[in-house]
Amino acid sequence: MRKPMTPPMRRYLARFFPAMLAYVGVLFGSLWTIRNLDPKGPLLWALAIAPALPIIAVIAIMGLYLIEETDEFIRAMLVQAMLWGIGVTLAGCTAWGFLENVGLVEHMPLFMVFPVFCAAMALAQPLVRWRYR
Amino acid sequence: MKNRLKVLRAERDWSQADLADRLEVSRQTVNALETGKYDPSLPLAFKIARLFGQPIETIFQDEA
Repeated sequence: MRKPMTPPMRRYLARFFPAMLAYVGVLFGSLWTIRNLDPKGPLLWALAIAPALPIIAVIAIMGLYLIEETDEFIRAMLVQAMLWGIGVTLAGCTAWGFLENVGLVEHMPLFMVFPVFCAAMALAQPLVRWRYR
Repeated sequence: MKNRLKVLRAERDWSQADLADRLEVSRQTVNALETGKYDPSLPLAFKIARLFGQPIETIFQDEA
C-alpha cells in the first residue's frame, strides 16, 4: 500500500535532518575544541552547552510537526507514542537511578535521556498503529 | 462508536483512498474511522456530514 507523506511530515524531515547534521558537527567541534584548546570560563560554558542546542531544536521540531499535522488521527497516534516514550523513559531512568545508587549499574549521563525517549517512542509507534488496525 | 461510513462510501462507489482524498486525511485515518476504533473530532465529523449531505447523527450512532 502506497503511503504518501503529508506536507507537514515532509517539512518535519526537511527540518530534522539539517538539525541532526548540525548536532554531529557541533558535537565534534565542541569536543575537539575542549580537548585540544583547553578553554576556560564562559567560553568553556558556551562550548559545553553547544551540542545541546541542536537537540533542543529537534525537540522543538517534533513539537512543530505535532502542531502542523492536519490529520488528527495521525496526530493522536503520535501523541500516544510520545506518551509511551515519556512513561518508559521516566520509569527506566527512575529504576536506573536506584540501581546506580548502590553501584549495580554504571552512571548514565543525562544527555542519554532524550535518545532513550526517542527509542521508546519509536518502539511504541508500531504498537499504537497495531491497536487501530 | 458505530457509524455508517463504509455503507455511505460503498453507495458512492468510493475506495477508502477516494474518501481520504475528499476529507483531506490519510487512508489509515479513514480505515480507523470506519472500523469505529477512532472517533473523529467535531470538525472532522461535520466535514464528513457535509460530504455525504446527511446530519451527523444519521452517520454516527451513539450506543449508550
